[in-house]
Amino acid sequence: MSRTVVRVEAVEKVVPTAAGSLVILDGIDLEIKQGETVAIVGASGSGKTTLLGILAGLDEVSSGRVILVDEEISSLDEEARAKVRGLHVGFVFQSFQLLGSLTALENVMLPVELRGDTLAESQATELLAKVGLADRIDHYPRQLSGGEQQRVAIARAFASAPTVLFADEPTGNLDTQTGDLICDLLFDLNREFGTTLIMVTHDGRLAERCARTIAIAAGQIQA
Amino acid sequence: MSLSLILRLAWRDIRSGEMGLMLVALLVAVGTVTSISLFVDRLQTALVQESSNFLAADRQISSGEKIPQAFTLAAQKRGLEVAQTLVFPSMVFAGDTNQLVSVKAVDQGYPLRGNLIVGDVPFARGAPTDKVPEPGTVWLDSRLFPAMNVKSGDLIEVGLAELKVARVLVAEPDRGGSFFDLGPRLLMNLVDVPATEVVQPGSRLSYRLLLAGAEDNLEGLKEQLDLAPNYNWVSIRESSPRIGRALDRAESFLLLGGLLGVLLAGVAVGLSAHRYAQRHFDHVGVLKTLGATPKQILYGFLSLLLLVGSVAIVLGLGAGALLHVIIIELLGNLISVELPSPTARPFLLGATTGLICAIAFAMPAFIHLKDISPMRVIRRDLGQSPASRWISYGAGIAGSLVLLVWYTNDLFLTFWTLAGIAGVSLVFGVLANLLLRSGRVVGMQAKSGWRLALAGLQRRRSENTAQILIFGLAIMLLLVLVLIRTALITEWRSQIPENAANHFVMNIAADEVDGVRQLVEKRATQGDFLYPMIRGRVIGVNDISAKLWQDGLQRERGGSRLTSERNLTWIVDPPESNAIVEGQWWAEGTVAPQVSLEADYAKSWGISLGDDLQFDIGGQQIMAKVTSIRTLEWESMSPNFFIIFSPGALKDFPATYMTSFFLQRSDKRFLNELLTAYPTITVIEIDALIAQIQEIVAQVSQAVELVLGLVLISGCLVLVASIQASKDSRMSEHALIRALGGSRKLIGSSLAAEFLLLGAFAGIVAVFGAELTVGILQSQVFNLSASLHPWIWLLGPVAGALIIATVGLLGSRSLVDTPPMMVLRGLN
Repeated sequence: MSRTVVRVEAVEKVVPTAAGSLVILDGIDLEIKQGETVAIVGASGSGKTTLLGILAGLDEVSSGRVILVDEEISSLDEEARAKVRGLHVGFVFQSFQLLGSLTALENVMLPVELRGDTLAESQATELLAKVGLADRIDHYPRQLSGGEQQRVAIARAFASAPTVLFADEPTGNLDTQTGDLICDLLFDLNREFGTTLIMVTHDGRLAERCARTIAIAAGQIQA
Repeated sequence: MSLSLILRLAWRDIRSGEMGLMLVALLVAVGTVTSISLFVDRLQTALVQESSNFLAADRQISSGEKIPQAFTLAAQKRGLEVAQTLVFPSMVFAGDTNQLVSVKAVDQGYPLRGNLIVGDVPFARGAPTDKVPEPGTVWLDSRLFPAMNVKSGDLIEVGLAELKVARVLVAEPDRGGSFFDLGPRLLMNLVDVPATEVVQPGSRLSYRLLLAGAEDNLEGLKEQLDLAPNYNWVSIRESSPRIGRALDRAESFLLLGGLLGVLLAGVAVGLSAHRYAQRHFDHVGVLKTLGATPKQILYGFLSLLLLVGSVAIVLGLGAGALLHVIIIELLGNLISVELPSPTARPFLLGATTGLICAIAFAMPAFIHLKDISPMRVIRRDLGQSPASRWISYGAGIAGSLVLLVWYTNDLFLTFWTLAGIAGVSLVFGVLANLLLRSGRVVGMQAKSGWRLALAGLQRRRSENTAQILIFGLAIMLLLVLVLIRTALITEWRSQIPENAANHFVMNIAADEVDGVRQLVEKRATQGDFLYPMIRGRVIGVNDISAKLWQDGLQRERGGSRLTSERNLTWIVDPPESNAIVEGQWWAEGTVAPQVSLEADYAKSWGISLGDDLQFDIGGQQIMAKVTSIRTLEWESMSPNFFIIFSPGALKDFPATYMTSFFLQRSDKRFLNELLTAYPTITVIEIDALIAQIQEIVAQVSQAVELVLGLVLISGCLVLVASIQASKDSRMSEHALIRALGGSRKLIGSSLAAEFLLLGAFAGIVAVFGAELTVGILQSQVFNLSASLHPWIWLLGPVAGALIIATVGLLGSRSLVDTPPMMVLRGLN
C-alpha cells in the first residue's frame, strides 16, 4: 500500500472583498497517494487554482489542515513552507515562469542551487537532453518558443527529484500539437521519476490521461 | 541563495539594463555629492585663505595692551605660525615738514597670509614681496612722499629714532576695516620701536598677535586661552562682516544646492528601485515556488543591492573626482586662487550618501520582495500590500532627514526644506487629483490622441498624481535654486556698484573745499557730496555723566567707549544709504540742536528717542535731543556716521570736510597732483579692498552656478526615472490599442499630449511651491527681502510641459516602436 503524500481535511478558504466575505473553498477533504496522477477540473472561478495553491503550500488556508509529505503545512509559516516546497515539490505553470535573466541550463539548475546543493551540470544537461533541448542549453528564454520554454520548465521541475509535481494548465498556452508533445513528456518523466502528479486543467483530453479526476464546483468537490 | 547565484543574477540584471537606471541614479547621487563637496571644500578653503588675507592671518588676538609672551608660546606649541604687529599714530618729521601717520611695526613673520606690495616709485603699481622693512628703514605710503617732500634714501624721524626711507608701500593685506581712522601708513621693523621711545603709558596702541595654521589648532588655542575681555579674538567674520556675510550666504546656498541634489537623486534611486522590484515580483514568485525562503530572498536581494550599491559608489566617486577636475580645468583661468589639495571628507561624504540613498530609498522596495506571495505565479494580480508603500515612504523621509541634517549640519534649513516639500506635496497632491478628476470621461476615448491622453491620465489617476508631484517637486527645487542664486548674485553685485567710490579724502579745510571739488570733478567721478567733519565726544546722557551711564550698562567688552572721540557731521537731508527706523528726520530750518543715531550704536549704549545727549567739542559743550534712529548700509562704501547733527547745531564749530570719488587704476597719478596741491589733506585708497571683494563675489557666484548645473542633472535623472517607472503600464495599454488598430501616430500624439499635460500641471505645482519656499528661505535663511517672481508663473508650466514632453517622448520611443505582439506576450 503506497503512502499518502497529500491529505486535506475540512479546508476552507475565505477572502474579504468589498461586498463581504467570499468563500472560495468550502470544506474540502482529500487524500492523494504516492505515484498517483490526479487532474483537478472545474469551471473558471470554481476554486481549482486556489486548491492547487493550497496543496502546494503556496497559499494559506482560512481553516482546516493540509499535510504534504508528512508535514502539516497549514500550520507552518512561509519560511518553513518554502523549505518543504524546496525539498518535495516541483511546478509546471501555464505561463512557463522561467527566469528571463538565466539560460535554459541555469534555470534547470536553479532549484537545487536554492537548496544549497549543486546539481552537476551534466545532470542538468541530461535532463534538458531528455526534453529534447540538448542543443539549446545556453539559450535565454526569450530565444525559445513557447513549447521549448515549457520543456525547460518541465526539466526544471524534475531537477530536484520532487515527491509531488504540481502543474497549472501546463498546455494552456500551447497549440494542440505542441500541447500533446508536452503532455507526453510530462507523463513519461513522471513515470520515470515515480512522482505524484497533481494537475489543474480545462483540457478534457489531458484530464483523461490522469488516473483520477477531482471535479470542483463552487468551492466544493463534486462526488 | 549562493553568492555565485547572486553575482550571476546581479550581472545579468545590470547587463540587461534592469538595474541600469538605479545604478545610474546611485552613481549620479554619489558623483554629484562628491564633485560638489570636492569643489566646495577646495573652493571654500581657498576662499577662506583668500579672505584670510584681509587679516594677514587666519586669526588675530588684538588688544590695547602688550600681548603676553605666554600666548605666543601656547600658539607655537600647537604648531601655529605667529607674527606680531603694533599700530600707533605718531607725528613724523622730515626736515621742516611733519605729518601725522599711522605707524605699523611688524616682525619678520608678517604677513602670515597675503602679501605686502611694494614699489620704488610713488603711485606706481608695485610688486609682491616676502620681506619686511630692514631694521633702521621704513616703507612709506605713496601719498607721504609728496606730503613730506621726501624720496628714497632720505632720513625721517619717528619719535627719537632716525630711520631711512627705503621703499614705497603700495598695499598691505590687512589694511581694510576701520579705514576712517587711518592716517597714511608708515611700515617699520618691530625691533626699531624701543629706539623711538614713543610707546609710553597712555599711548594709543594696538597690539596684534597674528596666527595661522590648522583650523582645529586655532580653535583649540582659543579655548585654551579663554581670553579676558581686554583681548579680542578676531576672525575674518568679525573683522570684515561684508565678506563674512557673503561667505556665510554662499555656504548656505552651496549646502542647499547639494542638499537638493541629494534629494533629487534619492527620489530617482527610489523610483528606479521600485520599478526594479515591481518587475521582479514574478521572478520572486518563481523563486519561492522553487523553494526559496523569505530569508533567502531577503538576503539575496539585499546582497544584490549591496553589490550594485558598491559598484555605483566606486564608479560615482571616480566620476565625481573626474567631474571636479574637469570643472576646475574649465574654470582654471577664472579661479585666481590656488586650490589646496582635496581632503578625504568629500569622498567620505559621497560614499556615505550612496550608502544612505541605497538603504533609505532602494532598500524598502527590495525588502518587500520577500513578502511577495508565491501564489503570484498563478494569480498575477497579487502585488505589494499598500502598507508596505507607507513603510518605504517613511524610510525615504527618514533617510532624507539623516542625509540632510548630516550634510548641512543645519536643522533649521533641513526642517524648512522638508516641511516645504511635505506641505507642497500634500496640498498639491489633492489639487492634482482634483485636476485629473474634473471632466471625467468614459472609456479609452481612442478617437483622438488628445482625448486618449486625457482618458489615460484619468484612468491612472493616483499614479499620475504621484508623477505630477515628482515632476513638480523636481521643477520646484530647480526654480528655488535659480531664484535664490539670482537673488544672491544680484545682491552681492549691487553691494559694490561698478563705479563705487574707491578713494576717500579727509581733512579738507573750509577754504580748500572749492579747490578740491573742482580738481576732483575734472579728473575723477565724484562719489558723495562734501561732509563737514568735527571731532567730538559724548560726555553726558540725560544729565548723567557718560562714564556713569556706561558703567550702568554693565557691559563686558573692551573696544570703544561711549566717551570715545568720534567723527561728527551735520547735514540737511538724510544720506541715501540710510533708513530712518524710529522718529523723524529734522525739517528744514530746525534751530534747536537735534541728533540722529545709528541703530546699533543707540542700542548698544542704551540710548533711545527723546534722550538728551551732551557733547564736548573742542572744549565747548553742546546739548542735543535724539530725534531719529537710522540703519546704515555698511556695504554701501559711502561715508557713514554714527552721529549726525541737525544743520544749525554745529555751524559755529570749525570743521574739516571729507568727500569720496571713483578713480580708475590707470589714473592713480592724479593722487600725486591732488596731494601736491593740497599737502594737508588725507587720501585713503580702498580700491584694492574693493577689487578683492569683487573677486571673492565673482568666485562665489561661479561656485553657485556650478552647483546649479549639477543639480539640474539630478533633476533630469528624476524625470527619466519617473517616466521609466510608469512605462510598463503605459506600454501594455498602448500595445493593446495598437493591436486593436490604433496607429503609431495616435499613440505618439496621445503620449505627447499626456506628457504636455503632466508637465504643465507639474509646472503649476512647482511655481506655487517655489514661491513659497523661496519666500521662507529668503527671509529666514539668507536674510534677503522676500519678493514674488511673476516671470516664473508662465515659465514654470510652459517649461515644465516642454521639458517633460521632450524627456518623456525620448524615454518612451520604445512604446511607439515596440511591436505590440512583443508587449502582449510579455517579452518587452
